[in-house]
Amino acid sequence: MHEMSLVQALLTQLATLAAEHDKKRVITVTLDIGPLSGVVVDSFQFGFDILSAESNLTKGAKLIITNPPATYQCIRCGHRQTSLIRPDHCPECDETLLIPEGGDGIILNKVEME
Amino acid sequence: MCDSCGCDLVNNHNHSHEHDPQVIEVHQSLLAANDAIAAQNKAHFEAMGIVAINMISSPGSGKTTLLEKTIERLKGKIRIGVLEGDIETDRDAQRIRAKGVPVIQITTGGACHLDAAQIHKGLHLLEQEPGGDQLDLLFIENVGNLVCPATFDLGEHQRVVLVSVPEGPDKPAKYPKAFISSQIFVITKTDLLPYFDFPVAEARADALHLNPRLQVMALSATSGEGFEAWIDYLETVMQ
Repeated sequence: MHEMSLVQALLTQLATLAAEHDKKRVITVTLDIGPLSGVVVDSFQFGFDILSAESNLTKGAKLIITNPPATYQCIRCGHRQTSLIRPDHCPECDETLLIPEGGDGIILNKVEME
Repeated sequence: MCDSCGCDLVNNHNHSHEHDPQVIEVHQSLLAANDAIAAQNKAHFEAMGIVAINMISSPGSGKTTLLEKTIERLKGKIRIGVLEGDIETDRDAQRIRAKGVPVIQITTGGACHLDAAQIHKGLHLLEQEPGGDQLDLLFIENVGNLVCPATFDLGEHQRVVLVSVPEGPDKPAKYPKAFISSQIFVITKTDLLPYFDFPVAEARADALHLNPRLQVMALSATSGEGFEAWIDYLETVMQ
């Protein structure tokens, strides 16, 4: 359940941003959580619901999570494909060994505050 | 807006409405704070001339036993230190200390993984132990957990994921992140292969399917089978 640690990191970042911009309330938070990030989105949402309710800054804030795909490069022919789930093989040469690139990010993209 | 923010209660209404909704573009990783400390840790390791290895596995896969045997084997040749991560107790640190190398126990008090800040503190404490400031190789034994530690960079040079034969060969497929983010996959307790259904080739293929660059080895720290490949690997990363 390391999602709780990540939610705590998010709340710390939100408090810093609110102080920097002199805002009192977070309305929406938009995040990218990649398919190879090792984060269970439902657990993250659950953690956010619990911990965000503890402060007036984040109480009632809405979380918008997007899942950008990862890129997989074929070890044999170098062909790249993007996918949310791991492809079984390379569509060009049928090789099964594909090197994942990216897709492991947990990125705070934007915050709407007032 | 003014009826809710309190501006109408004061006469001089001259401040700007800074609490109007505003979208702030951030585009920063939630792990940015951890990763910044991890980068400092790495610089600290390098200033000390240390190669750091982060060991990740389920509880009971044999991390501590592998470390005990590794310390015995390399004693007098490579100066080893250990940071032990556990939720509770210093039992693993006691086992390592009995081998005569500097060790610091980091108890996370419930957290399921080590983070870079804990390693930063642990490293400073380790430097104060006898011999702790003169090391070649630092093992960081993460909290026994095949999921959460994989997300947190500690500043290590190498990440090793371990699976023991009794756990079964399906771990790479079930817990991909640990295998994608590691350089080495060690199958431990191979002396138990006669008693468990653990097709080594299948586990190896599953792991390589996730991460074709992964180096895979199988060993028994108890019987010594396959142990030399592990020692060779350590000597290679030390160069």
